[in-house]
Amino acid sequence: MLQLLVAGLTVGSGYALVALGIHIVLRATRIINFAQGEFTIVGGLLALTFVEVFRANTWVALAGATIAGFVLGLAFERIVLRPAARSGEMALTIATIGMVSILLYGHALVPGWGSLPQPLPAFTGDVSDALDLAGVSIQIQSLWVLALLLLALAVLYVFFERTYYGKAIRAAANDPVGARLIGIDVTNARSVSVGLAIALAAYGGTIIGPITLVGGAGGVVIAIKGFVAAIIGGLESPAGCVLGGLLVGVIEKLIQGLPGVSYGISDPIVYALLLVGLLVRPQGLIGARGAVRD
Amino acid sequence: MIARIGADTRALPVLALVVIVFGIVAAGNPTFAQAGTYAAIYAIAAIGLSLLMGNVNQISIGQAGFFGLGAYAVAYGTTSWTLPPALSWPLAAALGVAAAALAGLAVGFIALRFRGHYLAVATLAFGLICVGVFHESALLGGAIGIQNVPYPQFGPLTISGYPAYWFAWAFAALAALVSINLLRGRSGRAFETIRNDELAAEVLGIPTRRYKIVAFAYAGALAGLAGAIYAAFLGIVVPDAVSVQLSITLLLMVVLGGSGSVSGALIGAALLAIIDISGNQFENSREVAYGVLVIAVVIAAPGGIFGLIRARINAPAAPRRSSSPPAEPHAAIAPPANGRAPLAVSGVTKRFGGLVAVNDVSFTLERGTLTSLIGPNGAGKTTLFNAIGGIGDLTAGSVTIAGVDVTGQQPHRIAALGVGRTFQNARLFGEMTVLENVLAGTFRRRDPERIAVERAYATLERLELAPLANTLARDLAFGDRRRVELARAIAADPWLLLVDEPAAGLNASERDRLQRDLLALRDDGMTLLLIEHDMRLVMAISERVMVLKFGTLIADGPPENVRNDPGVVAAYLGTAVPGTATA
Repeated sequence: MLQLLVAGLTVGSGYALVALGIHIVLRATRIINFAQGEFTIVGGLLALTFVEVFRANTWVALAGATIAGFVLGLAFERIVLRPAARSGEMALTIATIGMVSILLYGHALVPGWGSLPQPLPAFTGDVSDALDLAGVSIQIQSLWVLALLLLALAVLYVFFERTYYGKAIRAAANDPVGARLIGIDVTNARSVSVGLAIALAAYGGTIIGPITLVGGAGGVVIAIKGFVAAIIGGLESPAGCVLGGLLVGVIEKLIQGLPGVSYGISDPIVYALLLVGLLVRPQGLIGARGAVRD
Repeated sequence: MIARIGADTRALPVLALVVIVFGIVAAGNPTFAQAGTYAAIYAIAAIGLSLLMGNVNQISIGQAGFFGLGAYAVAYGTTSWTLPPALSWPLAAALGVAAAALAGLAVGFIALRFRGHYLAVATLAFGLICVGVFHESALLGGAIGIQNVPYPQFGPLTISGYPAYWFAWAFAALAALVSINLLRGRSGRAFETIRNDELAAEVLGIPTRRYKIVAFAYAGALAGLAGAIYAAFLGIVVPDAVSVQLSITLLLMVVLGGSGSVSGALIGAALLAIIDISGNQFENSREVAYGVLVIAVVIAAPGGIFGLIRARINAPAAPRRSSSPPAEPHAAIAPPANGRAPLAVSGVTKRFGGLVAVNDVSFTLERGTLTSLIGPNGAGKTTLFNAIGGIGDLTAGSVTIAGVDVTGQQPHRIAALGVGRTFQNARLFGEMTVLENVLAGTFRRRDPERIAVERAYATLERLELAPLANTLARDLAFGDRRRVELARAIAADPWLLLVDEPAAGLNASERDRLQRDLLALRDDGMTLLLIEHDMRLVMAISERVMVLKFGTLIADGPPENVRNDPGVVAAYLGTAVPGTATA
C-alpha cells in the first residue's frame, strides 16, 4: 500500500509539473497548450543527449535540459504562438495541437532519440536501489523525484512571489492592459512565461526519466493526465495543479494495484475522472467558484 | 453568411464533377481508387467537424472516438451476427452512427457547461477513453482489434475495391447535402448568429445551447458513419487506427480546407488523403509536415484554402422579395393572448458578491405604454434588464411576463414569449448583412423562408433601412447600427420591447427619428421599457418614468412628477450640504 502510494507520488510529480506548465501557459496566453506533454518527452530526450553526447551525469543533464527547454519555449512562443495569436484563440489552440504532431513524430527522426523509450541514468547509485522502510521497499529514485519536485516548487514560488520580475509576469497575465499602463513589457512577460513552462516540462521529463524512461509516444497521455490533474485540482490555482497531479498519480497506481484489474484500464478510468470532475466541480478542488462557467 | 454558404453551393457542383472525373480515371488504377475512397471517408467526418468548428466555434480533438464507435460497431456486428450480408452492414452501420450521435450529445452536453478550452480537453479525453476501452475490451479483440470484416454485399454487388469509391462518395455527397441544408435558411442563420454573438442570438429566441449540442451530435454521427465505411472498406479495425492522431488529422483537414464550409472540408480531406497515400514511405516526417502545415495555415491563412477561393467567387444575390403583395402586412401588434400585464417584476434583487446591483425592485407595466427607466450610471438599470430577460440568475424575486412566471428561464425562452431587446452597445451580427440580421430577428416566428424575407424587408422599410439591406453589419455607421438593432428586435413583432439606451451617441436628427419610431411602435400596441439618459427624449415620450438609484427604485410616476421629485433631483445633482447652501 505504502509502496503504491510512493509510486503514485512519483509519477504524480511528473503530472504535477505538466499541470503547472499548462497553468502557466494558460495564465499567460489564455489558451491550453496541448503540446505540454510532448515538450515533457522532448525534455527528457534532451537530458539523454547531454548524458550520451556530452557524457554528463544526470544532474548536469537536468540543468542542461531545463535551460534548453527554456530556450525551446522562447522559440515556440516567438515562432508559433505569437503569430498564431493574431488569428484568434481557436487558431492558437489549434497551433498547439499542430505542435503535438510535430514533436510526437519529429522526435523519432532525431538521431539518437528514436521512437522507443530509453533509460536515463539514475541520479545516485542504480535505478533499482531501494530503501527498506519497515518492510516496504522504496526506490531511492522516487525520493529524488519528490525532492526535486519540491525544489522546483520552491524556486517557482520565490520567483513569482518574491521577485519583481515574477510579480510583473503575474501582473501581465492578470491584466495585460493594466500591466502595459504601468510600464510592464507584456509581450516579453508572455514569452518568458512560455519559456518557463517549457523549461518546467523539460525538468519534469528529466526527473522522472530514470524511472519511467524517456522518449516514446506517451506525450499525449502525459499531457492529458496533466489536464486531469489541473482540472481536478483547479486549473487557475498552482497549488491545485500540484495537488491534482499527485492525486492523479496515486489514483492511477492504486487502480493498477487492485487485484484482477488489467493494467491498461487505469488510463480510461483516469480520463473519465476528468469528465466527472468537469461536471461535478468545474473549478477544481482549489479554485474560485464562477471562474470556469460562462 | 449567405456569402459563405452561397460560395459553397457554387463550388460544390465543381467538386462533384472532380469526384466523378477522378472516379472514371481511377477505374484502372487501384492506388487512385484507394486514395479517392479514403478521401470520401475522411470527407464525411471532416464535414461534420467543419460545421462544429466553423459554425458553433467548438474545437473537437476527439472525433477519432466517434469514428471508432462506427468502425467497431460494423466490425463487431458484421463478424458476429448471423444475418444476411445485405442486412448486416446497414444494420451495424446504423447502430454505430446512432451510438456516435448519442456520444456526441453526451460530450456536447458535458462540454458546453464550460468555456472553450475545457471543451477541447473534454473531447480529447473522450477520444482517449474510447481508444482505451477498445484496447482493453476482449469482445472487440483488444490490441489486435477485429479482422476479416466482410465487405458490404448487396445482391450480386460486393462493395470492395473500386465500387467502394462510389459507395463512399455517395455517402459523402449525402453528408454534404444535409450540411448545406442545415446551413441555409432559418437554421443556417441561427448557426451563423451563434458564431457571431451568442448572447444576441439568445435574446432573439435562438436556443444556442441546443444548436451547439445538435452540432456535436451531428459531427459525431458523421464521424461514426465515416468509421462504419472505413471498417468495411479496410476489413480490419485496430485501436491504433482510431488514436489521437486521427483526430488531429481530421482537425488538420478542416483547418487546411477552411472551417465552416462543406467545400473546404472536401478539399482538405481530399488533399490529406492524397498526401497520406503518396507519403506512405515517409512515416513520421509526414506527420511532422502535417503539424507544420496546420500551424502555417492558422497563421497565414486562417480561412483555409476555401477561404482564399471564396474571396474570388462572386457573392450570390441576396434573397429577393417575392413580387406578390406582402402576405402579412405590418399588422398591429397582438397583445399577450390572456390579457395579463405584459411585465410584472416583483422583489427582484441581484447581488454580485457584496455589491447589491438591484435591490428589491417591483413594478408592473400596462399594455401599450412607454415607460422609461432612468438613473445615474451604475444604478443597476442594465442589470435589471438582464434580470428581466433571463441573463444571469436572480438573487431573489420573480419576473412574470403576460402571467407566465419566467424567473430563472433561459433568455431564448423568454424571447420566445414575445419579448424583444436591444443592447447598450448594439450587438449586431457583424459578419451578416443588415437583411440577414433582421431575418435572424424573425427566428421565433418559424415562418416559411418566403414570408420571413417579406417580413424582414417590411421591417427594414418601416425604419427606412431598405437601402442598407445588403450592407454587412460591421460596415455600418454608428447611428445605423442602432436602428438596425431596433429593426432586428421588432422583426418578430414582440409585444414587449426592452430598449437599452437607444439615443446614446445619436445626432439630433437621428434622435428625432428614434422618437418617432418608438412612439409609432407604442401606437401599434407594443409595450416599451426604455433605459435612457437623454432627459429631453425621456420627458417627451414617456407616459411613466421610473428612477433607479444604487439599485433601488426611488421614484415612479408621470414624467412631470418625477422631474420635480426632490429625491430624484438629489440623485442626479447631489444635495446641498446643510448650512452652506445659503449664500
